[in-house]
Parts: sequence; C-alpha cells; structure tokens
Amino acid sequence: MRALLGLLLLAPVLLRSADSRSSDASRAGYVGSAVCRTCHPDIWLNFYKNPHYKSLAAGTEPPEKTGCESCHGPAKAHVEARGGKSTIVAFSQLEPRQVLDRCLACHSKDLSRGQIRRSSHTLAEIACTGCHSIHRSPAPQQLLARKQPELCYDCHPQIQAQFSMPFKHRVNEGFMRCTDCHNPHGTQAAAWRMSQRPRMVETGTQGEQPCLKCHADKRGPFVFEHPAVRVDGCETCHQPHGSPHARLLRRPAVFTLCLECHNGAGGFGRQRDGIPRPSSAHNLADARYRNCTTCHVRIHGSNADPLMLR
Amino acid sequence: MRFYVVLGAMTAISPFGLRAQAPIAPTPETVGRARGDDAGGYNIVNSFELGYRLRSVGGNLGKYRSDVNYGNGVRLLSSNLTVHSKEGHGRYFDDLALTTLGLGNDPYQSAVLRLAKNRWYRYDLLWRQNEYFNPALTISSGRHAMNVRRRLQDHDLTLFPQSKLRFLFGYSRNRQDGPALATVQQFGAHQDEFPLFTEVRRQRNEYRAGGELNIRRTKITFVRGWENFKEDTTGSLTDPSPGDNTADRIALRAFRRSEPYHGNTPFSRAVITSEPAPWFTLHARASYAISRRDFVLDEYAVGSDRFGADRSRQILVSGSGRRPVATANLTLNLFPAESVTISNHTAFHHSRMEGEHVYSETVNSAPGFTSLPFQYLGVRTLANTTDLNWRLTPRLTAFAGYQFSKRRIRSREQAERTPSPDDREAEQENSLHTILAGVRLRPARPLTVNVDGEIGRASTPFYPVSEKNYHALGGRLGYRSRSLQLTAYSKANYNANSNRITAHSSRSRHYAAAGSWNASSGLALEAGYTKMHLDTVSGVAYFAAGRATAGASLFASNMQVAHAGVRIGVAQRADLFAGYQRVQDAGDGRRAAGADAIAAAQVLPMRYHSPSARLSVRLKNKLRWNAGYQYYGYGEEFSPLQGYRGHTGFTSLLWSF
Repeated sequence: MRALLGLLLLAPVLLRSADSRSSDASRAGYVGSAVCRTCHPDIWLNFYKNPHYKSLAAGTEPPEKTGCESCHGPAKAHVEARGGKSTIVAFSQLEPRQVLDRCLACHSKDLSRGQIRRSSHTLAEIACTGCHSIHRSPAPQQLLARKQPELCYDCHPQIQAQFSMPFKHRVNEGFMRCTDCHNPHGTQAAAWRMSQRPRMVETGTQGEQPCLKCHADKRGPFVFEHPAVRVDGCETCHQPHGSPHARLLRRPAVFTLCLECHNGAGGFGRQRDGIPRPSSAHNLADARYRNCTTCHVRIHGSNADPLMLR
Repeated sequence: MRFYVVLGAMTAISPFGLRAQAPIAPTPETVGRARGDDAGGYNIVNSFELGYRLRSVGGNLGKYRSDVNYGNGVRLLSSNLTVHSKEGHGRYFDDLALTTLGLGNDPYQSAVLRLAKNRWYRYDLLWRQNEYFNPALTISSGRHAMNVRRRLQDHDLTLFPQSKLRFLFGYSRNRQDGPALATVQQFGAHQDEFPLFTEVRRQRNEYRAGGELNIRRTKITFVRGWENFKEDTTGSLTDPSPGDNTADRIALRAFRRSEPYHGNTPFSRAVITSEPAPWFTLHARASYAISRRDFVLDEYAVGSDRFGADRSRQILVSGSGRRPVATANLTLNLFPAESVTISNHTAFHHSRMEGEHVYSETVNSAPGFTSLPFQYLGVRTLANTTDLNWRLTPRLTAFAGYQFSKRRIRSREQAERTPSPDDREAEQENSLHTILAGVRLRPARPLTVNVDGEIGRASTPFYPVSEKNYHALGGRLGYRSRSLQLTAYSKANYNANSNRITAHSSRSRHYAAAGSWNASSGLALEAGYTKMHLDTVSGVAYFAAGRATAGASLFASNMQVAHAGVRIGVAQRADLFAGYQRVQDAGDGRRAAGADAIAAAQVLPMRYHSPSARLSVRLKNKLRWNAGYQYYGYGEEFSPLQGYRGHTGFTSLLWSF
C-alpha cells in the first residue's frame, strides 16, 4: 500500500522526467536557424519579412517550433552531409499529403481551414505549396506564389474567360478577389442548394451564399420572399462570375428566364401545384409585358406586395 | 509534387511573368530588386505609381460605363509600402504592409493594410470602393438605371495572436448610395407603368467579438456578432407622366414613396477543431442567428385612371419579418493508412422565415381595403458527404464520394392573421443522392491528368429548372515546368428535369486551354482559348393576344473567349507588352432576330474585344516611366445601338526603393 502511495506521489515527477528525456531526445537533431544561414544566406537575408519569422523573434519556442527547422525538421544530418535533399525535409520531395500534414501541424486549427481535408483542391492533390510560396512570395500577407486572381487563373482558365465578359464582378480590376466568395481550403456543404457543388464557396454569417455578404439588401427577411433566392440560390437566375447578359442574368431577356419556372406545371413550387404562370392579363404578344421587372420591381423579396409590385 | 513547388517558385521568382488579362494600368513591372532602406531598426520598402488616365468613347457611353468605366484624370494607380522590424521587436509594430489601388478617382479603388506586433496584436483592414453604373439596357424597358457608389470596409483585430488564448474583434461596413431610376405601376386592374426617381441609401454594419482557446490539440472558437441593416431609399416622380402605354388615359401627376426598412441580426458561432490522434481529426461548427426587420411603406399617388377620371391613392404598409437560422456542421477525417484519407461531413441548415404586415389602401379619400397577411417559409436541409481519397501508387490516385441530402420545405400563406379555410399550407421533401468518382494520374513528373464524374438523382426538385437527373464529366490536364505552363480543361454538365406536364433539359460543355511560356529572360508568351456551349429546352406557358399558349423556350449560347499576350524585354531597360482579348457569342447561328418574340430573345450574338499595349522604360535605378493603350470594342448583332468603341490610355511614373 505504501509502495502504491509512493508511486502515485512520485508519478508526476517521473512523468515530467520521462517527458523531459523524450523531449531532449527529440531535440537532439536540431542545430538552430543560425546554422542554416551559412549556406542559405539568400533566404535568411529576407526571412525577417516572412510571417514565419515570428517564431524566431519570440525566442520562447522549442527548437522544433522555431525558424527553419520548424518546417524542414532537424538539420543536423543535413549539415553533417554538407547538404542534400535526402538529409532534411525538402518540400519538393514530399507527397501532397505529407506537405499538407506538415503545414497543418501549425495551421490546422485556423477557422478557415477546418474543411481542408475534404476540399476539392485536396482531392485533386493540390498541396499547400501549389499556391503558396513560403520564401519568395509577391503577396506577403498570404504568402501566395502569385497574386490573385492570376494564381487561380493558372489552373482555372474557364473562370478567367468568364471574368472577361462584358458584365462581370470586378475581379480583374482589383476591386474583388476570388477569396471574397471562395475558400480555397474548403467549406462546409452548401446549405442553399442540395447538390455536391459548389464545394469551395464560402458561406456568410447565417450559412447563406456569399453573394448576400455584399448585396445585403437582397438578404431579407421579407414578408414575401422570392423562394428562388432561399431555396436554390442566386444562381437560379444569375451567373456569378460573368455573363454577356445585363445584371449577370442567365438569359438575354428577363421574361424568358421567368417563364422557364413560371409555367404552371404541377409538381413544383411552394404548394407543389405549379409555379404560377402569368395571368391572362399579361399579353406576351405586347412588348410591355415582356419586361417582368418593370412592374415586379421587388423581385428578390417584398414587404408590401405578394406579387412583388412594390 | 515537385512540379507544384517549381510552379510556386517559378511564378514567384520570375520577374518576367505575364500578367493575366487585366486592365492595362497599373503596370506590373517593378524597378530593380526591392531590398528597401533601413531606418530605426526597420526595413522600409516603398513604391508608388502616379499617372494620368485618358479616355475617349464613341457609341453607347452608358454601355461603356457599365462594362469598363475608366475615366480621365490623375490617379495614384497603385502603391505598396512594407515596413518590417529587423529583429522582430519593434516598439509599436513589427510588420506593416499597405497596398492601394486606383486611389484618386478610379471606379475601382482599394486599400489593404496589415499591422502586426509579434505576440501582441494583428490588425487587418480591407477598404474598397466601387462606382457602379448601370444604364438599364434591355431590362425593365430600360428604366432601371443606377449610378451608385458602394463602399466596403472590413476591420479585424486579433489580440495575443500567438498565445493559447486569443481575442478576436471585427467590424464591417457596407454602404451603397446614389441616384437610380425605378418604375411603379398605378391605378386599377389595367395599370400603367411610370418611371420613378429614387435615391438609394443602404447601410450595413456588423460588429464581432470573440475568443479562441487552444488546449493541447483542440481549439475552441466562439464569436458573437451583431449586424444592423437599414435602407432608406425614397422614390418620387419628377414630372407628370403619361406612362409607358400612351394609348390609354392613365396618367400620374404626383407621386412620392417612403419605405424605411431597418433591423438587426444578432448571431453566435462556435467552432471546435481537434486532432485527438494522428489518424483522426474533427471539426465541428454551430451557429445561430435571428434576423428581424421592421418596415413602413407610405406611398401617395395622384393622377387619372383609364377612364380619365381623377384618382388619388395612398398605400400604407407596416410590419416586420423575422428569420431565425440555425446551422451545424461536423467533419470527421480518418487516416487509416498513409495513403488513405476518409472524410465524412454532415451539414444541417434550418431557416424559418416568417413575416406579417398591415396593408391599407385609400382611394379618392375613401378607405379601400385592409389586409393582414402572414407568410411562413421554412427550409431545413440535412446533407451528409463521405469522400475517400486513396493513393494507389505514387503516380495514381483514386477518389470517390457519396452524398445524401434531404430538404424539407414548409410553407404557409395566410391572407389574414386569423387562420381560415383559404390558407395555403404545404410541406414537401426532396432527397438527393450523388456519387462522385475520379482518378488522378501523373504519368510524368510535370504532367498531371485528372478525370472525374458525378451523377445525381433528386426526387422532387423545387423548380422546373432545378437539377434532377444530372451528370457531370470533367477532365483536367496540367503541365508545369520552370518555363512552360499548360492547362487544358473540359467539363460537361447535363441535366434533365421533366415530368408528365413539362420538360426541361440543359446541356453545358466547357472546353479551355491555356499556356504561358517564359522563353527567355526577355521574352514571355501567354495564350488561352475557352469554348462555352449551353443549350436548354424549357417548357413555357403564357397568354398571347388572349390565347393560352404552350411551347418551349430554346436557349443557345456558343461563347468563345480567346486571349494572347507577349512581353518583350529590351536590354533590361524597357519592357513592351502587347495583348489581345476577344469574347464572341455566335448564338445559334442566326443572322437576324426573327419575328417570334421568345426565339428572338433567346440568343445574343455579340462580340467584345480589347487589344492593348504597354511600354515601360527604366529611367533610373528607382524610376520607371510607363505608357499604355487599351481599346474596348463592343457590338451586338441585333441591337447596334448597344455598341461602343472605347479608347483608353495612361502614362505614369513608378518610383520605388
């Protein structure tokens, strides 16, 4: 009994001692960043401008979380071998999953990277270093290899084409960035529609689509909501990147867009009895009636009129 | 993997990379290698480009302003300032980075600032301003024009960013104001439309406060926020109007409308991220928000009805709308082996919108009718996704996924607050199953090939154009080396959503190829081509000349986009860039709109092209002179009046150290 009591009392001391020994052992191969600069002065010279420099500046972090070796691992063998990519963690030699694991060792808990394991980029084996350049970044805040949107266009030429349209969100002009709407590290499933896609669209405060972050007047709540906005999202009518049609609409004329849903066919809509087609008072042969939003001005939602006339 | 690193390094190192399709100014060239100057323990790097933009437009100036909108005048085209403490122990800050774009009078202006002191704080500011000009064009009879300014700003402050307990504060502001045109419909069952002048005034403010606690391998984040939104847009008639239909006797002599719409949305968000074991991580998130908006509408109109009799009409509406939204997400990642990742994600979203108002109408000083409707629209979605990513060999990876989603939509529409037999209440459920699979090949080190496919089946889509029976096939090829980048892309989406009464199908095919080549230190080339095809068939039903008509709407678009650019360096002193971009839609090949109104509106043959050139000369080690020209030409096959020819240019001095 006494032996057991003694063991319990000594346990914290023994554990701390064991932990200390294992920690010392794990730190055995570290040489410190000052050694690295002997052979890599070009990187060291500007490293104080790098966000990762703060681990050195703090002066309190253990060797495995400080400076060069926090990412590249213990460098003793590398130094002794006078260099070589096989004697140190060289990111150019790592598989995408290994790169991801290494970066996430510090960055995994950031809010914006919670879904990175299931993001489309990860599924396509685009690792962190595919977009980020740690030592030679022209965009120092995110350490991007190129500035947005050029970086994204490298792999998404079809999106570049969409932003070349006459009507577009002003990404090329520098007013917006791809990351205003997308999270390249992955997002939770879209709540405003049901399909797998889109996978990389960042949601707003209320889990809604990012369009409503800027277009706050379309967010509501309204007494009479246009369910298209709430049920299937803005993309029901709009092309978000760019379009040859005014107001980023999917069709050149608004009335054909409306008629494709408002055709009265049963099985659809709030009551599943069809989305109402225009009444007989609407003579589509007359050009006046082919401009639906001239009268239905509150098409995104109205507080005063169920037909969204005001 | 190596080629990705090569790509990152190459694009970052190369001072001679091409800048993908952007306005000709500001210039991307830099002056020498920016080492900066040292002062007081800091290193300072600064550059700014000051210049003059010029513009000359022929044709439809409104359309030019809608598409391009660059004008004349002096601008600070761009600027960059970075200040870094050399030891990481600055007195008030360690890092300062400020980037601006278009300050002065460009239609697109922005400023990005980061200020940080190691261990103590990090502050980020993003400020943006957009001059939005919409000449109405063909929408709403060309009556809904806007000439507004939107200003966005986001502030985020993190205290003790490197400690286990961090505090988060944020503020965002979104303001839009300016003149606009709208329309209003007035007087009786057979009404007429009248143009209105409106003054847009919208403002959104959001305040956030929270904290992050990092305990061992778990991080807990909690954020509480408050959003305030208010809109005070007013509408009025500037002059008496006979309305759009001049054949009738309906006229409007006076009109005013005031409709303040104010409210707030308090919200809370909690997140837990944990890595309890090397083979397992989880990410859980929950949020709750309650939006409430209160509104009043006061509208007064004086004019004459279709018989020519005097008419006055006042509408008063007041009420409120509410929308509680609850969301929850849980992501589990399993790593049973080094080469296998299994990810399961569950998402829940529940939005319940409800609102009511009191509507009263007075016609010719006699009370008309009063109604008290109530509306409810609840949408609850539950989705679960499982993805498997398996690296079979170093050159071959396979991935597969399955998603199940279930959505319940409840609707209630009451004409009066008291329930009655005429109330419309309904509930429906829609379930969707999708399968995703693909492979990724790396036959050679710089070459990757991705092929994937997705099949989805929905039970009861909400709209005739929603996805029901769809499949998508995609492929991507990438080649990356130090000097050459090639990308080819293909994606086809097919959807069929038909029932016994109506039919809808859409076929979308996108093909793209792009490449850039840094041939030497003095020559770089870039080119790309994209073809986007879309054709849809949708059942439509409407009345024309008193007859019920049913048919199909056939939409066809064959969009082709091409761009090319070359950059030539001369003796490390001058850089010449020349580029060309063209967007063209051939529609369905028709040369004339035709008599059928629907068919005529379903194609938009157009062309939009923009050649550009820029010369940048290094005058001194820290000084560069730039001049550029960019032409914008737009034309539509069926509406020649929409076309324009815009000549834009700039000259600037870029100074840096």
